[in-house]
Amino acid sequence: MTRFSPRRLLEKRCTHGRRVAVTLLLCAASLLSACSGIKTYENNFNKNLHVHTATDSGSWFSRVHAAVDIHRVGEDCALDYEGTVELTGPATEIGIPPDRRSYLVFVFNSFSFFSNRSGTITYETLVKPRSNHHYDAAASYKNDLYHVMIREIPPDRSASRELDRLALSSCRSSSDRK
Amino acid sequence: MNRFHVLIVVLNLFSLVGCVSHPQSAEEFRKAVPGAFSATVETFEVDRPFGQVASTFQKMGPNCLSKTIKTTSRTTTSYQVIVTTYKPTVLVRGKKAELHVQQHHEQGVINVSKEPAGGYYLLVADAQPVTQTKTRIDLYRPSMGHSVLIQAVKNWATGENVGCPDLTK
Repeated sequence: MTRFSPRRLLEKRCTHGRRVAVTLLLCAASLLSACSGIKTYENNFNKNLHVHTATDSGSWFSRVHAAVDIHRVGEDCALDYEGTVELTGPATEIGIPPDRRSYLVFVFNSFSFFSNRSGTITYETLVKPRSNHHYDAAASYKNDLYHVMIREIPPDRSASRELDRLALSSCRSSSDRK
Repeated sequence: MNRFHVLIVVLNLFSLVGCVSHPQSAEEFRKAVPGAFSATVETFEVDRPFGQVASTFQKMGPNCLSKTIKTTSRTTTSYQVIVTTYKPTVLVRGKKAELHVQQHHEQGVINVSKEPAGGYYLLVADAQPVTQTKTRIDLYRPSMGHSVLIQAVKNWATGENVGCPDLTK
C-alpha cells in the first residue's frame, strides 16, 4: 500500500513537465532542421578526405562556423545535395565516393553579435577522388581571410600534389565535349 | 536606420548633388580615383618577381572574387538584405598585370547612375616589374570600407598570408 505523499506528487509532476519540455524542444529542433534544408552527410564511405580546420573570428563579439556540403555530380553535371559535415573540431574525417565526381562546398558562416550582422562565404570545387588515394584539406578562416587547399596523396605516400580548384562550369564544358 | 543605411544614403546624395557619373572602364576609374571623395591611389613595391605577382592575381582573382554574396543586417527597427555579385578580371600583357574588381548589387541597393557592364568598378591593381625581384603595385581603391578586400589584394602582391577575402565583411 502506497501512502500519499505531496513531495512525490510534485516530483512526478516535475518529471512529467521536463519530459514534455524535452519532447517539445526535440520536435522544434527537428522541425527547424528540416525547414533549414540542412541534412547530415551519412559519411559511410572509406574516410579518404581529412579536413584540418582552423577558425578564428578575431573578436569576442563574433563567431565563425565552418562546414562542408557534399553534392553528388550527375552525368549531366546536375547537383544532388547529399549532406553537410560540420567542421567543429580541428580534424574531421570524411568519406567521399571514389572514382566519381563530387562537388564540395566549404562554408564559412560568420556572425557578429555587436552589429547583429551575419554572412556566409563559400569555397566550391569539383573533385573526383581516385581509389586508394588520400586527400588532405586545410580549411582556415582568420582575420576575415579564408583559405582552402586540397592535396592528393598517392597510396605509397610519395609526392603529393595540390589540386586546382575546379568550377562547376568545367564539368559542363567537359560534358559538352563528349 | 543604422549607420550603414546612412552611409549609403549620403554617398548616393553626393552622386546626385554632384551629378557624378561612375567610371565606365578601368582606365576611366584610374583617372577618376585621384580626385574622388571616397577613393585613393596607393603605390608600393613588393620584394617579389613580377611573374609571381601576376600568377597569384591570375589564380586568386577568379577563385576568390567570382562570387555572389548575401549579407543580412537587423536592428530593432530594420531588416536589410543586400545581394552583391563581384566580377574579377585579370589581364596580363607583357610587363603589366591588371586586376579589376567590379561589383553589381542584385538586391538591397538603389543605383543612381549608369552602371558599366559587370558592375561598378571597386578596385584596380596594376603590377609592373621594377627589377628582377621587385614589383611595383599601383592600387586604385576605396578609401572607406572594403578593407578586407584591399588587404587580400595586398597579400596577393606580397605573397604573405595569401587567402580569399570574406566579402561579407
